[in-house]
Amino acid sequence: MAISDVTEYTHLSAEEVEQLGRELDAIRQEVEESRNAEDAAYINRIIKVQRGLAAGGRLAMLASAYSRRAGKPALVAGAAMLGVAKILENMEIGHNVMHGQWDWMNDPEIHSSNWEWDTAQPAEQWKHSHNYVHHQFTNVLGHDNDIGYGILRMAREQKWHPVNLGQPVYNALLAALFQWGVALHDLDIERIRKGEKDPQEMKRQLLQILRKGRNQVLKDYVVHPALSGPAWRSTLTANMSANVARNLWSYVIIFCGHFPDGALHFTEEELEDETRAEWYLRQMLGSANFEGGRTLHVLSGSLGYQIEHHLFPDLPSNRYPEIAVKVRALCDKYDIPYTIGPLHRQYGQALRTIIKLSVPNGWTSSDQPEPPTPSRDRRRRSDAERPSRRPELGGWSRSLRERSAG
Amino acid sequence: MDAAPRSFDALPLDPELEVPVPFAAGTDVGYGDRAPGTVLSVRDLDHRRVTQCALSRTCGVCGAGLGRPLAFLGSRRDADRLAFRFPACHVGCALALLASYADVTEPVLGLDTAPGEWQVVTTASFEFVRPGTDDVDRRPTFQPHGLLSTTVL
Repeated sequence: MAISDVTEYTHLSAEEVEQLGRELDAIRQEVEESRNAEDAAYINRIIKVQRGLAAGGRLAMLASAYSRRAGKPALVAGAAMLGVAKILENMEIGHNVMHGQWDWMNDPEIHSSNWEWDTAQPAEQWKHSHNYVHHQFTNVLGHDNDIGYGILRMAREQKWHPVNLGQPVYNALLAALFQWGVALHDLDIERIRKGEKDPQEMKRQLLQILRKGRNQVLKDYVVHPALSGPAWRSTLTANMSANVARNLWSYVIIFCGHFPDGALHFTEEELEDETRAEWYLRQMLGSANFEGGRTLHVLSGSLGYQIEHHLFPDLPSNRYPEIAVKVRALCDKYDIPYTIGPLHRQYGQALRTIIKLSVPNGWTSSDQPEPPTPSRDRRRRSDAERPSRRPELGGWSRSLRERSAG
Repeated sequence: MDAAPRSFDALPLDPELEVPVPFAAGTDVGYGDRAPGTVLSVRDLDHRRVTQCALSRTCGVCGAGLGRPLAFLGSRRDADRLAFRFPACHVGCALALLASYADVTEPVLGLDTAPGEWQVVTTASFEFVRPGTDDVDRRPTFQPHGLLSTTVL
């Protein structure tokens, strides 16, 4: 459905939508103007902890090779520490740094231009597939490639195909091998298969992925095991466990962001004249939060505050808790849904959707209001097919019917 | 990512003004705002590419990932109000573009003034501000958070 057809906000007048946009602008401005040394200390502290965990984990694995008594516990502790370090690096540090959340510090290392993260996907490709494609076209079918990552049917508006019967299996594979799935995400295999990809760009991207993937494999499965000498096999297993733990965790967190009940999907018709306030609304209605303590939020890269992250992707993640209080108050004030629940429930709903949508729509009932638009093709779009936002072409858009009447 | 980055020397030329067409102005016909059958032009920016550059953190001139510091190119007015229309670029790309446009005497790339009056400023960070309904100019702006340096030719 298009943003202007969403019943959750059509009760608002154009003036109210505009006022909501102004209030969100004010939240942004307040945080921007109050960024300070405490925020800088936060990200520096997280990086210090992450590097300490990574070094400690590697050392524990090494030590396990030379101590019979403490061998196994040290190995398990090492794998756990390395797993947590990888989770922190990918989620709270890498993802947020690459959004430019910490660019204002003018730090030579902690900057969106320079950060290269500990996962197989090259940072440059992540900044295109995630920062641009996903954040600009959030939950717009055919444009946001994060809707099912090109292999899962995640919306009833997407046409069913017999290949979807295997969704539970594809989902399990995607979860276990998540970093490699993400590595191929921006390559867009579907367009390569159809011969629609620029061969020069495909080659450039493939080389980037091969180089990055090779370095990741060398680091975790050759160099560090080799340093463990005779215990190379246990170090290799521990490293693999850390990587799989990171894969499963990031998969769960990411799938809780847009697939629980209440997070809406949209179609492309209204993108052409979407205004800033409508863009805000689409981000709010297409995202879902989860509840938890501070540790859970840090380990999930602050994506428990997915709504706030989509509204303000370049504001420092440590400020999301205070922003969330204000955004939730605005949702109450304007009677807009604020989708939130415990992590297990949010993921349970996403998993149920994956399983239900593996069969045709008629076999299952919808957990969301039925979209007014008919089924549409689910192929991925190229950059050329993604529309630019042209607000000068139209004013505030309400429903198609209202616009025709006007 | 569909369009591969190009080095400054490999940028296509505007057939009318014979100056390099930067990534943000649309370097490929049949892509973004440059519909099939049209010609490349530096008269205006490609809206889709501008958004792509802003969010993907790529250079508005060559299309490759940005470096540090970030350079913005614009009129004196843009610099004074800290709101630029042209996306962030590499410092080298911005200066090369400025030099190659030195003989152009009319406003291009969607800027209000001719290249002779442009400035290059550097910064560490920026905010991408989408236009609101009240804005007279309905194009997004890049608003740096403070300047590190200013270069005037």
